[in-house]
Amino acid sequence: MAVQAQRQATAAPARPRPKRVREEEVLVWPDLVFIEFISAVLFTITFVILSVFINAPLLNRANLDVTPNPSKAPWYFLNLQELLLHMDKAWAGVLIPTIALGFFAAIPFIDRSRHMQGLWFGTKYSVRITVITIIYATVVSFGLVTLDAGDTRLTPLVDFKTEMLTRWIPSCPEAAEDVGWPCLRDEAGAKHLGIVSTKDFSKRLEFEVLGVNWPEDLDNIAWPFNDSIGDWDLGFIGLSNIHGWGGEHLNIPAAMAEQVIPLTLTIVVFPGLIIYTMFRLGWVRTRRDVMIVMYTGVIFGYLALTLIGSFFRGEGQDLIAPWNIKVDEG
Amino acid sequence: MSATEEPGKPRNLSERIQLLQDRIYDRLFHNYIWQSIFRSGYPNTPRNQMLVVATNVFLHLHPTRLQRTHVRVTYTYCLGGLTFFMFIVLTITGVLLMFYYVPSVDRAYQDIAALETNVKFGLLMRNMHRWTAHAMVILVFLHMMRVFYTGAYKPPREFNWVVGVVLLVLTLVLSFTGYLLPWDQLALWAVTVGHGIGGSSPYLGDEVQTVIFGGFEIGQPALIRFYTLHVIALPLLAAIMMAVHFWRIRRDGGMARPL
Ligand code: HEM
Repeated sequence: MAVQAQRQATAAPARPRPKRVREEEVLVWPDLVFIEFISAVLFTITFVILSVFINAPLLNRANLDVTPNPSKAPWYFLNLQELLLHMDKAWAGVLIPTIALGFFAAIPFIDRSRHMQGLWFGTKYSVRITVITIIYATVVSFGLVTLDAGDTRLTPLVDFKTEMLTRWIPSCPEAAEDVGWPCLRDEAGAKHLGIVSTKDFSKRLEFEVLGVNWPEDLDNIAWPFNDSIGDWDLGFIGLSNIHGWGGEHLNIPAAMAEQVIPLTLTIVVFPGLIIYTMFRLGWVRTRRDVMIVMYTGVIFGYLALTLIGSFFRGEGQDLIAPWNIKVDEG
Repeated sequence: MSATEEPGKPRNLSERIQLLQDRIYDRLFHNYIWQSIFRSGYPNTPRNQMLVVATNVFLHLHPTRLQRTHVRVTYTYCLGGLTFFMFIVLTITGVLLMFYYVPSVDRAYQDIAALETNVKFGLLMRNMHRWTAHAMVILVFLHMMRVFYTGAYKPPREFNWVVGVVLLVLTLVLSFTGYLLPWDQLALWAVTVGHGIGGSSPYLGDEVQTVIFGGFEIGQPALIRFYTLHVIALPLLAAIMMAVHFWRIRRDGGMARPL
């Protein structure tokens, strides 16, 4: 047994290791222990002072009958809450975070070269790639959120509202059942200023072309994420009632707006565009470079969405300037 | 004359003081009890400096020597170490908070309010716990970015990076479960948002809400679940994962260096 284990251990492929150069080494005591001690002391002092002057919030006692408007998740989840406004909630809240974490965990298994480790920004263009991706991710995140906000005034100075971009789509006539040309049906509760967001847009679009009645004719087509193929009974493993994605029938406009469009944009189109561009420019050359673009994009997209969720979302999750945010405590 | 004087006999005041210092030092550090605790001598020689690191249970997380470049503050910015330090501060302040907190919907809010007003340093402890918790979330992200941009996840450190990702998730979940405990409006509605997100899991929405949040509304079942996860299950798990993380740094040949 032991011999076998030993043989297995030694049979593991020899991995090249950097050579140790004694002259370049220092003793942990005192060199490192000193730094650790000082930084611990500095942090302790900082947080004691901070805690003396700034109190942790304590609002009224929890009350299920009084809903504050807006209700916000803790800041590090505000990005997910922000995503909820733009796509299907299963994607925003569960699947995208899972994919992001899966991607993080997969990074070392995709970029397997040993070179340029242990150095800040080891590859030739990595600083440039990182900076450009940071700017790109920030601009794209803020841009998409603003575009999807429909009737929001883009700037406090210029009175330009994004919904003006799509005003050319007429409203559906009140009475008519089927409409020949694409038009927007006013839903109960929908804002009257045309389109509010892509979600709204696709849910309210109606037309009848070539005998196809959009969207009614598509309602009952089966697909994996709705109930049309029935509930799955997994009672034998204790999950007796496995539910459909949202329990809806196929609603192609909604699926387009909440799944296909936001996901292709955020996972395929925008990352693909920047990677391809920098590849053609010769800046992205190795898997390491691709990982830098993707990791930076995820982290700074996450940061941008966190900032938007924290500082630009007011009552009813409307997009507004930070100085206008008021919380209605209910 | 002077050659015949007995060695060690003090001639003037400064020598007397020196002698006294040596005696005190001897009494303090060369006695039986002290030496039963600390095996190595005072770390003023390279040998003793290495021994002190190798024989002390806390210090032996370190190797005895390190690459000069790794000790430079601008390489790691101490981020991993500071994340760990935040975890320790959170454990200490958290245990103190536990003395005054009962995880019941009827009491939790009053307990926190009373802690702030009636308990000496109670408010300070709560504030410290809150702010260091935020700091830990920020630091763990920064540490991850440091590791990423220095390419320190590359072989042979793939697995330790994955352990790190688990630690990142644990840190976020620890912070989130703690958020509910004060049982105020902020807590309730923030967790209600999370409850909604959990409920949107494809196929398993209801199950997630029942298992993790204890039902379709945030109440006593959610509070006791979050409390138990927050004060014992998750910290224990995090501590174990940190032990693995630190062990693996040593096993993988110390911190990453260019080949
Ligand atoms: C609770 C969370 C964490 C703690 C307490 C922690 C602690 C540490 C410490 C003390 C080090 C030594 C070097 C340094 O300080 O930078 C380290 C290194 C490392 N950490 Fe973490 N870490 C945590 C989370 C993470 C995360 C989220 C990742 C990545 C996803 C990660 C990946 C690594 C890797 C790969 C190394 C080796 C770095 C090298 O060889 O240069 N850790 N960690």
